[in-house]
Amino acid sequence: MDPAVTAKLKEMEVADPLGRPAAEDPWREFRRIEVIDFRLDLRFRHSLGKASRFFLELEQRRLMATRCPRCATVWMPPRAACGNDLAVTEWVELPGRGTLAIATECAYALTTGGGQDRLTLGYVALEGASTLLLKEIRNYGDAGRLQAGLPLRAVWAEAPVRHPMELFWFEPVD
Amino acid sequence: MTATPPEVVLLGGGLSRFAPERPDGTPVDWIVEATQAALADAGVELGAVEHSVVAYESEIIARQLTMGQVAQDALGLCPRPSVRVEAGGGTGGVALRTAFAYLRGGLCESMLVVGADAVGRQVPSTTVRQVYAMSGDVDFEMAGGGFFSAYYALMMREHMRRYGTREEQMALVSVKNHRNALSNPMACMPLALSVADVMKSPPVAAPYKRLDCAVLADGAAALLLATPGWAREHSRAWRERPRVYFAGSGCGTDRMRLGDRPQPYPGLAHFRAKREAAHAAYAMAGVSNPRGEIDVAEVADPYTGVELQSYEDLGFCGYGESGPLTERGVFDLGGELPTNTSGGLIGQGAPPGAMGLAQAVEILRQLRGECPPERQVPNARRGLTDIHGGTASLSVVSVFERRE
Repeated sequence: MDPAVTAKLKEMEVADPLGRPAAEDPWREFRRIEVIDFRLDLRFRHSLGKASRFFLELEQRRLMATRCPRCATVWMPPRAACGNDLAVTEWVELPGRGTLAIATECAYALTTGGGQDRLTLGYVALEGASTLLLKEIRNYGDAGRLQAGLPLRAVWAEAPVRHPMELFWFEPVD
Repeated sequence: MTATPPEVVLLGGGLSRFAPERPDGTPVDWIVEATQAALADAGVELGAVEHSVVAYESEIIARQLTMGQVAQDALGLCPRPSVRVEAGGGTGGVALRTAFAYLRGGLCESMLVVGADAVGRQVPSTTVRQVYAMSGDVDFEMAGGGFFSAYYALMMREHMRRYGTREEQMALVSVKNHRNALSNPMACMPLALSVADVMKSPPVAAPYKRLDCAVLADGAAALLLATPGWAREHSRAWRERPRVYFAGSGCGTDRMRLGDRPQPYPGLAHFRAKREAAHAAYAMAGVSNPRGEIDVAEVADPYTGVELQSYEDLGFCGYGESGPLTERGVFDLGGELPTNTSGGLIGQGAPPGAMGLAQAVEILRQLRGECPPERQVPNARRGLTDIHGGTASLSVVSVFERRE
């Protein structure tokens, strides 16, 4: 016979979380529980906003930052308005070379991170930037190489990717 | 002439048990349970409560928008006023600060502060990670694979690089907090562990391993705050039990992306928002030597290293000293400044909307001398709570005092 409720996962008696005897459980008449499959299908038409040029230029293998004309801070990731003084910034291209500031090897990855099971993330000090960029570090060999100051270069995806941030990562220069 | 703002007092607190999975109820059910406990603790009738503030982090994870209004309805508080607050993991701290401001500002004389979240096993871990990653930078860092365990790991890697902090020192925090939870019947993870147990637990994001991490949990917490005048009229606890005052509140912020924070301070290793919040709270409470003048503290510990880093920006010790002091037992029960006597986020559990309030419930019990003897700090007179959202992109510090 087909179930009356297709989303039902189970029904069960649950214990008092505080372990009181049933006679002392004030909620004893409310301990029969139904659990259902609750789904949200969330999709968005997501604008990347004023930072969009950064993502679009990645397709041309260019790393674009923004520079504040007032305080000269070079923001990477870019900001359209300077985070120090709200001045409207200007686009500048960075050379795609830098050094590792710090890294961590992760035992798992978000599904938004390109689909791999695990990854290594690092903060990279790009030449010309005032701030650090978080990015995946690949092909570094032994974890002992992941020391501050390790020279890195941007490496570009050869195959199509889903999200623009998957178009590049960093690897040691040698 | 400006009138002096009224003082703010804590009259009662209660929890609905923190657990890895609570199929027995919904967050609103747990808010009701925690409120019943807080009102009973305060000796206050529900009908006397003037205002509420409701704390929860995520509508998606709660599967409920406007939970503040739903909770107000469930609690029988309509048509009285209510406000909802949100600040990620710092939500409970902001709820406390909101109540402090409303009471000091004269908008009401009593305020029920409730918080809950349902982030335990009923939410698949991939869903939790993705939703929580949205509490940081979405387009650059989350899209590049970033998530909070990695952000905190990067911060601790930098702390280790600068100061030589060791994984065994972090593991001692896990041992302490799980051990403190053993006497807490509301706790999620009461465990007797060794440093070796923590060190051999599965990796998460280096240097963090499974037992370095707090467990996302289901649960709720509630507190009743009021002015002394209201308390005299409405609260049995105020008349019969030790009196606890809300002596100082501070809040600070920092840039959301770690890589945007100024160098060398805070850099990647420190919590500038927390230092700012602590300075403000200490100034208000008249604290000049935190380690000497605070008797017990609940310190943010989503990861063991965060607790160490927090000691430093809270002024409990100098930068780089938290690891060695932890080895000396300074922050253990029986030590100079016991921390996370409830078990903290690691031992008691981490439902984001409730955890900052649960900290204050523990401090209330400590200052009244009402904790079980295993974890009661003798003659505790002044206590602190510290909680934050993001990687401390927003931080709240609160100071409480027992006064005769």
